[in-house]
Amino acid sequence: MAVPAKTSSSTAWLLIAPGVLWMTLFLVIPIAMIVYVSFWTQTTFKIEPTLTLASWQQFFGSDTYLTSLWTTVRIWLIVLAATLVIGYPTALYVGLFVKSKTLSTILLVVCVIPFWTSFLIRVLAWRPMLGKEGAINIVLQYFGIVDHPIEALLFTELSVIIGMTQIYCVFMVGPIAFMLGRIDPNIIEASRDLGAGFWRIFRKIIFPLSLPGVVVGAIFVSVMVLGEFATASALSGRKVNLLGNIIVTQVGSLKWALASVVGVILTIIMGIVVSLFLRVVDLRREL
Amino acid sequence: MTAAAHIFRLDSVSKRYGETVALDNINLSVDRNEYVSLLGPSGFGKTVLLRTIAGFEAPDEGRIEVNGVDVSSLPAHKRGIGFVFQNFALFPHLTVADNIGFGLANRDVPAGKDEIATRVNDIIKLVGLEGLAARGVGQISGGQKQRVALARTLITEPKLILLDEPLGALDANLRGRMRNELRAIRERLGVTFLHVTGSETEALAMGDRIIVLDHGHIAQFDIPDTVYSAPATPNVAKFLNRYNVFDGSVSGTSFKTEYGDLAFTQKTKSDRPAYAVRYDRVAVDADESAGKGPSVPASFVASEYLGSSIMYFFEAMGGKVIEVEHHLSNGAPKTFDTEKSYRLRWKPEDAIVFG
Repeated sequence: MAVPAKTSSSTAWLLIAPGVLWMTLFLVIPIAMIVYVSFWTQTTFKIEPTLTLASWQQFFGSDTYLTSLWTTVRIWLIVLAATLVIGYPTALYVGLFVKSKTLSTILLVVCVIPFWTSFLIRVLAWRPMLGKEGAINIVLQYFGIVDHPIEALLFTELSVIIGMTQIYCVFMVGPIAFMLGRIDPNIIEASRDLGAGFWRIFRKIIFPLSLPGVVVGAIFVSVMVLGEFATASALSGRKVNLLGNIIVTQVGSLKWALASVVGVILTIIMGIVVSLFLRVVDLRREL
Repeated sequence: MTAAAHIFRLDSVSKRYGETVALDNINLSVDRNEYVSLLGPSGFGKTVLLRTIAGFEAPDEGRIEVNGVDVSSLPAHKRGIGFVFQNFALFPHLTVADNIGFGLANRDVPAGKDEIATRVNDIIKLVGLEGLAARGVGQISGGQKQRVALARTLITEPKLILLDEPLGALDANLRGRMRNELRAIRERLGVTFLHVTGSETEALAMGDRIIVLDHGHIAQFDIPDTVYSAPATPNVAKFLNRYNVFDGSVSGTSFKTEYGDLAFTQKTKSDRPAYAVRYDRVAVDADESAGKGPSVPASFVASEYLGSSIMYFFEAMGGKVIEVEHHLSNGAPKTFDTEKSYRLRWKPEDAIVFG
């Protein structure tokens, strides 16, 4: 039976209605609210809906906040690079070199095992690892590699980077391994038969075909790292202040307007980052 | 260096996967400038044989010689062999031109940009892909993909090209056209094609010679006419899909089967006794008496109109299907009643007996 056009279009509206409703209630309205609140007038004890640029001026007029903006961008770039450098070879092994589908599934599950414990425990577990009398220093001293414990390991920017890389690496491995697993082995054999060596096959065939996975992984890692605050406060001894930490502090002292300013800035940065990544590949075509 | 007459030679090549023998002591020598088709049902070692020659799989035993050189321990791309994959295995992110030029641009010593462009252009003309060079390979048809796969291999100038069911992914109409095209391209270039197929008509139509593979060993290697009219083993007769094959045993000048004793005149040496008669040599007789000459009682089941001929399907004792082909040039099609019994007869000299 032919379905009249009118019915099918109203069916379409009905189908997307729950999604639209959900996104409006929990995404569009809250974001609009944050933007609105960022222009409110904040005094020591109260906040009023009188529009002012005071909070924005406070943010851009303060070295502390601008430094924290720069720290956030720097740590994001370093962690992104580290997860890619560590994650890509791992994904290459899991998705391409392991021929058995069962084994590659098992390996992916192994990557996810740390997620069976809570996020905070995973972060805090790095303290006894990296500390002055922590596992790494004990091992290094035992083998005589260093005379004195390395103190730079914990409560520095390095410890934040190590912690975030470990926590977010799997979000890079997953999508890349998925894309690599979809490459037809005949394609790689064909390129070998045509005389290409391993490095060329990787550069001309494997890497371009895995690029959508890299982009999806990079988006996951970027969005999560840019919004981070827990790892930074737990592993830096409050020396590293990301934009996320500022939001937490400001909300804690009920400074809603400034917290909203930082929130808007973070949202804009994430929007730019995600849209830049999406320009690299046409995900709709690739997936 | 004097060029050997053969382009490649296999010397006692064997390959096992655990208990399964994929290739069983294969000796084979194929001439230069020849179209060889390799026929065998799926799972009988065709693809393994092809991949072993190409160098994607290593044989457990034996020697492989290409162009007079032992290549047994050489990797695939050093063997000078082209390979066309069943699903074409084109590089999905590259254009038609980049796919074709891949081998030139990415070998150990890459060719210059101008040389690549010229040669890609030449080969595009040769296989008839003009105007599609800049297209992505996702935007072209099945037949065009087939041409890209072939062109991509041809550009590296191999003397031997292995084609793994190259027409399998195409629809019937296109398959017919690509058959002619493949033969024409090969003749123009003077290279050897080894074409794997599971279709007996394709094997007969395309090959200058046909290799019939049966459970990992070569059952017959001959020109199509000989393979067709004088199959070497009962299984070859079966693979050709043109013979009714009866099991039984030879006794004197007749062959004992559960359908009666069948007379014959000549016999082929074989491990397994069998009696074969071609579909188009069988006549249908409404007279059910045994009469003179070999015959089998059977009841009519169905018919299938093929245009130039008509196939009749009969059922003998025990559900054995016997096929009869009636060429329409030999008179109008006959009609038979289903469930009615007939006598299928043929001349003893038309029978091929193995034993």
